[in-house]
Amino acid sequence: MNYQFNWGILWTGQSGAWLLQGVITTLQLTLLAWCLAVILGIVAGAFRTLPFAPLRWLSSSYVEFFRNVPLLVWMFFWYFGVPPLLPQAVQDWLFDHGAEFWAGMFALGVYHGARFSEVIRAGIQSIPRNQYESAVSTGLTIPQTYRLIIVPIALRLIIPPATNESLNLLKNSSVALTIGVAELTFQTRQIETYTAKALEALTAGTVIYLILCLGLAVLASRLERRFAIPGMIVQVKAD
Amino acid sequence: MKSNCRRTLPVILLIVLIGLSGSAKAETTLEKIARTGTITIGTRTGSPPFGYVNKNNDWVGFSIELVESAIAPVLSKKIGKQLKIDKKESTPQTRIPLLSSNAVDLIAETMTDTQSRRESVDFSITYFVTGAQFLVKKGNAINGLKATAGKRIAAQQGSTNARIIRERVPTAKLVEFPDQPAAFQALAQGQVQAYTNDGIQLAGLKAKAPKPDEWLVVGEFYSYEPYGMAMRKNESDFRHAVNVGLMDAIESGRYFEIYEKWFGQKGEVPYPLSAETKRFLQMQVVPK
Repeated sequence: MNYQFNWGILWTGQSGAWLLQGVITTLQLTLLAWCLAVILGIVAGAFRTLPFAPLRWLSSSYVEFFRNVPLLVWMFFWYFGVPPLLPQAVQDWLFDHGAEFWAGMFALGVYHGARFSEVIRAGIQSIPRNQYESAVSTGLTIPQTYRLIIVPIALRLIIPPATNESLNLLKNSSVALTIGVAELTFQTRQIETYTAKALEALTAGTVIYLILCLGLAVLASRLERRFAIPGMIVQVKAD
Repeated sequence: MKSNCRRTLPVILLIVLIGLSGSAKAETTLEKIARTGTITIGTRTGSPPFGYVNKNNDWVGFSIELVESAIAPVLSKKIGKQLKIDKKESTPQTRIPLLSSNAVDLIAETMTDTQSRRESVDFSITYFVTGAQFLVKKGNAINGLKATAGKRIAAQQGSTNARIIRERVPTAKLVEFPDQPAAFQALAQGQVQAYTNDGIQLAGLKAKAPKPDEWLVVGEFYSYEPYGMAMRKNESDFRHAVNVGLMDAIESGRYFEIYEKWFGQKGEVPYPLSAETKRFLQMQVVPK
């Protein structure tokens, strides 16, 4: 490979500021979309286990509709498809206040919400039926049973797969560059535009994603240990 | 010891892999072409008329035809056998990596020759000249660079135009899209008020739009965009062969026939060649 590397471009000029801006945008996008995804996921996941058919159908349709269409298509849907449905005044306001970011946030959040809900459903369904029955027999109502017993246990069980989903969400936020969101991958391309040094810029992006994801993974394993219920769930090995 | 080994093994493998990719025997582009009888070009699928997929689903264009009928004959003669042309999609982000990884041998699309790019790749002589303008819906007030202040403007990421707007009109709200179709869609829906790109590409977009009359290409050129064909650095024999192909075509008039086919009155995108540009192209031809 006859390519001359010039790593200097990463800390000369505006590259550093762009990368930082990109990291901030990526984190903002990820965090907001994650909150949306978790809320949607918990609601839809819990609904799918309820003994009440209409709610099960509602959340099944949500899950199957949103997880079975590629994320890229959802990006275009939220950016190009949704605004024309809104009143003109709202459209104008949105276009002046980062419509790209919000479209990207909804696309990520709603798509990953559907995926999260399956993780949560799996968590709920892995709890032995007698937990639910004992809770109800103590006089708790169904909503109370879910809120106080089922969901808290399920949330502990699903930390590993939920971490997986969260990492995917962070990495998938790069798809938002297709609708012009200036996140991390976008900024690495920006550096390429100015310096024509694509390999260096991509490497910087790769390393930053790796650091962000490793950080998240470490955080998640801490959480897992912190909230483990002694004796209830298979012991988490402390290493 | 055992656990230590487990941790270091992947790292060693990674280093070996990286090392292998660098130690492959260096073969010049001409040697590669002679060995395989094939030249792989990187071009576009969505930039009419330079490189695009037409109604019959054929991958054609002005840049592609220049390679086929001006450059390929010279290379064929040089290697002494029939040359096959393979096409691969390239984009502003991937074209330089595609060259450095040997995936393609020549970039023939809409790449502006710039000084910073010349630090990574080499360019042929200039084969097309254009400059940045704006595409707007008929009736829009934007008529040039200055009028973009405070307005929402779409640009193609990886282009030189976005950079100029950012420097010269910092109040313009730039939205950068990775490809033309998304940027044009945003313009059509009113997400942005204008789309800026090289004038010839806007003319191409207008010509291919469902209702070409609804769109206007406005503004004076606010940048100078000389298109060149890019290749790997320090391959002067190959570069010379490419240049000879282009120079012969300009000198013999073949270039202007091809130009007429794509940019003439009856061409895909009418874009008359100015006398000035014609003279410039001719003056790049050095004597035999």
